[in-house]
Amino acid sequence: MLTNLTRRTLMKGVAVSGLASAIGGRFALAADEPLGITLVLPSPVGDVGWGHALAAGLEPVKAAYGDKVKITVLENIAEGPDADRIMNKTVADGNKFLVAGSFGYQNGALQIARRDPSVTVLHASGFQVAPNFSPFAAKYFQGTYLLGMAAAALSKTGKLGSVSAFAIPELITSINAFTLGAQTVKPDIEVSVVWVNSWFDPAKEQEAAKALMAQGCDVIFSNAQDTPSVIAACEEAGVYAFNLNSSMKKYAPKTYLGCIATDWSPFFKASVDAHFAGSFKGANTFLGVADKVVEVVDWNPDIPADMMTKIKEIEAKIADGSFSPFTGPITKADGSEAVAAGATLADGEIVAMDWHVKGVATPLPK
Amino acid sequence: MNAIEFILAGMLAAATPFLLAALGELVAERAGVLNLGVEGLMAFGAVLAFIIVYHGGGHLLGFVAAGLGSAVLSLVFAVVALGFRANQVATGLAIGILGQGLSALFGKTYESLTVKGLPKLAFPWLSEIPILGSLFIQDIVVWLSLAATLALWAMFAYTKAGLVVRAVGENPKAAHAIGYSVTSVRVSAIAFGGAMAGFAGAYAAVVYTPLWADGMIAGRGWIAIALVVFGTWLTGRIFLGACLFGAVSLMGLAAQATGLDVPSQLLSSLPYLVTIIVLGIISADRRLLKLNGVASLGEPFER
Repeated sequence: MLTNLTRRTLMKGVAVSGLASAIGGRFALAADEPLGITLVLPSPVGDVGWGHALAAGLEPVKAAYGDKVKITVLENIAEGPDADRIMNKTVADGNKFLVAGSFGYQNGALQIARRDPSVTVLHASGFQVAPNFSPFAAKYFQGTYLLGMAAAALSKTGKLGSVSAFAIPELITSINAFTLGAQTVKPDIEVSVVWVNSWFDPAKEQEAAKALMAQGCDVIFSNAQDTPSVIAACEEAGVYAFNLNSSMKKYAPKTYLGCIATDWSPFFKASVDAHFAGSFKGANTFLGVADKVVEVVDWNPDIPADMMTKIKEIEAKIADGSFSPFTGPITKADGSEAVAAGATLADGEIVAMDWHVKGVATPLPK
Repeated sequence: MNAIEFILAGMLAAATPFLLAALGELVAERAGVLNLGVEGLMAFGAVLAFIIVYHGGGHLLGFVAAGLGSAVLSLVFAVVALGFRANQVATGLAIGILGQGLSALFGKTYESLTVKGLPKLAFPWLSEIPILGSLFIQDIVVWLSLAATLALWAMFAYTKAGLVVRAVGENPKAAHAIGYSVTSVRVSAIAFGGAMAGFAGAYAAVVYTPLWADGMIAGRGWIAIALVVFGTWLTGRIFLGACLFGAVSLMGLAAQATGLDVPSQLLSSLPYLVTIIVLGIISADRRLLKLNGVASLGEPFER
């Protein structure tokens, strides 16, 4: 079982440990101390979603190392100075392995890594790299491409929608690949996007989903929402929906289209192994179907069998590296050429994507 | 369904959490008490209602529990702010943080679970009007909130109880001199405000978005407090303010869904911008504020 801490209980812990260190003075950590692993998250850990997927990814590490690791999850930590302070505190307490679970923790976590080379930091969705600091991200776009094919096959109106959190490259690539996948089935399909500009506001997410349905969208992509608000609203309206990270099928038994699940455990396990061996090397890690990190699960049985066969073919090609969703010709929403015929975008270009493909009806916020 | 119908259909439901909480705060402020703990009271009511509905207690019991629970929590505020004459701003903030903490604690094992909402009831005849008709298909809580708005307006305009609450807020010494107990009027007003915030939270968690997620109130309690000033302490204007806020936030989403070329960040901040602008216009009119403002707001009463 993981130790779960909220910020409030942490405060008490901070006070107590502060007192203890004042009394006990400074003692070096004994050699047989377990490795302290701390996961810091911006949202609460629920049964589903981003935080849940990251926490679940540490379970196999715990299973493999048993008493040699001690895992702490700090949830609901607001990005900014608060997070910097709490991350510094947890490292000062002797935790040498930090998983910073949000883009906004980047600067604080990087400072910690630079100051103390014995600490290993894994940082979600970022771009900065240091010898002991690895940013990591999932190739969600490989999954959204496949779901785009399924969505187009099921859509009657020819309009698809996406409720999205913030206009950052990670989310933009997911929408673009979703659109490209749908266009392989219905070339003139349209995708509308509502940016709610929040990682966490269930009421607003649900309103956004309804706004898209009012426009005729009959498949909705819940892009980076941690709560089942969009999925549940779609089930009620009889509209297909899918999401990222962990399955929400139980909230929409009929209209759940599928889940682009992320299993971070292979990456976390390998990183902890490297930390113990002293061979950890910070690198930009972009993980997908081939790494067994991204996998589409819970396909809806309504998807026509011949389409399902096609999807499985493409999935196999993505897994063995012979196909990328971002293979030209691709046209940008403004009509200019994004990728020339036959060319394929490199990972570095994908993580920096700041344009929509043709077919996305909503202009990208600047 | 087009964008206009979407806004009309959703506006009242979107406004309901704001409206309920703001009406409660209105009564408290009219009695001269500034309770800034609305956000926490809403969160506390929300989690209580969710737990009861989740375990099969039904929506009615859920709302009752939310109202009672938040009223009791607001009485803690009453004891400190009225009993010990502590600073109302600081006490209100503290109670708000307490409410949010309690909701996180109680809701821990219910994180991201869902319940069933309430069915929508169509208003006979009116709901059949084309386009406008969607405005008249709402759940029972929305209809009851409209009734509560009317009832409060009538109370302040026509009843003795309303006049007593206003007298206590305007000039507590005079009210005391003619034999009204300032403290008991204020305690009742605070408890009423707490109960309404509890209902508002319950609506958010078991009807509007029927799920529990820590932090799901997401600042709506603060908007409710702003709406009271926005409406210059008048029931009708608070109702209009809540509807405006609800409509503008839905408009932002609808505009994006239709592909309008306006930055989404601007659309997201539009409801707040509109609130700030209207507050600015109202504050510029000193006469309006003097006329409707509450003279003893936030001041402890000394005999």
